[in-house]
Amino acid sequence: MAEELKMAEEVKCACEAAIIGLYACAGGSNVGQMANKVAVELTKQGKGKIMCTVGIGGAVSGILKSTEGTDEIVAIDGCPLICAKKSLERAGFTVDKSIVITELGMKKGGSLDLEESEVNEMMNKVESTLDN
Amino acid sequence: MKIEILGTGCAKCKKTKEIVEQAVAELGIDAEVVKVEDINAALDYGVMITPAVVIDGDVKIAGKIPTIEKVKEWLS
Repeated sequence: MAEELKMAEEVKCACEAAIIGLYACAGGSNVGQMANKVAVELTKQGKGKIMCTVGIGGAVSGILKSTEGTDEIVAIDGCPLICAKKSLERAGFTVDKSIVITELGMKKGGSLDLEESEVNEMMNKVESTLDN
Repeated sequence: MKIEILGTGCAKCKKTKEIVEQAVAELGIDAEVVKVEDINAALDYGVMITPAVVIDGDVKIAGKIPTIEKVKEWLS
């Protein structure tokens, strides 16, 4: 039963409230991993729906069409290279909001393992950014 | 031709199926329209928002109800 509920959460029905697509870079650095963690936590909080960013670059039709079906697109990048935002724009999408983890005070580099305290701190900053 | 309507049985999914069936009938083509409520099938196509229409394995739309004109365009 729990597994069924979990699976159901992985696909959103457009009959629900406006769908906010969250596209994290999930890059190979601490800030890239933080970007992904932020997207996961926002999804758990019901503030958006984590999407498959790599599928945008890979031009996977289901993922492109799902992106067309969102009401708002949020790119969550780890660093100023803004790969997620650029990938979306290259595919022809307009990014409504762009979040860059380094701009919120986290330095790029260091361990790929994230501390719970730094995740909580980043979530507070991201939520403030999204509310503005 | 196989047309799959991916969705959980919600209002938009039902409307999408109606439109697709109407398009098929008006064009008089031979197509199998199947309603797929298994979420895993949607994920297998990379579909993350429903309803979605898949024609012979190609995802045509997701998260929106298509117009009948658009469906006819896909089928032609």
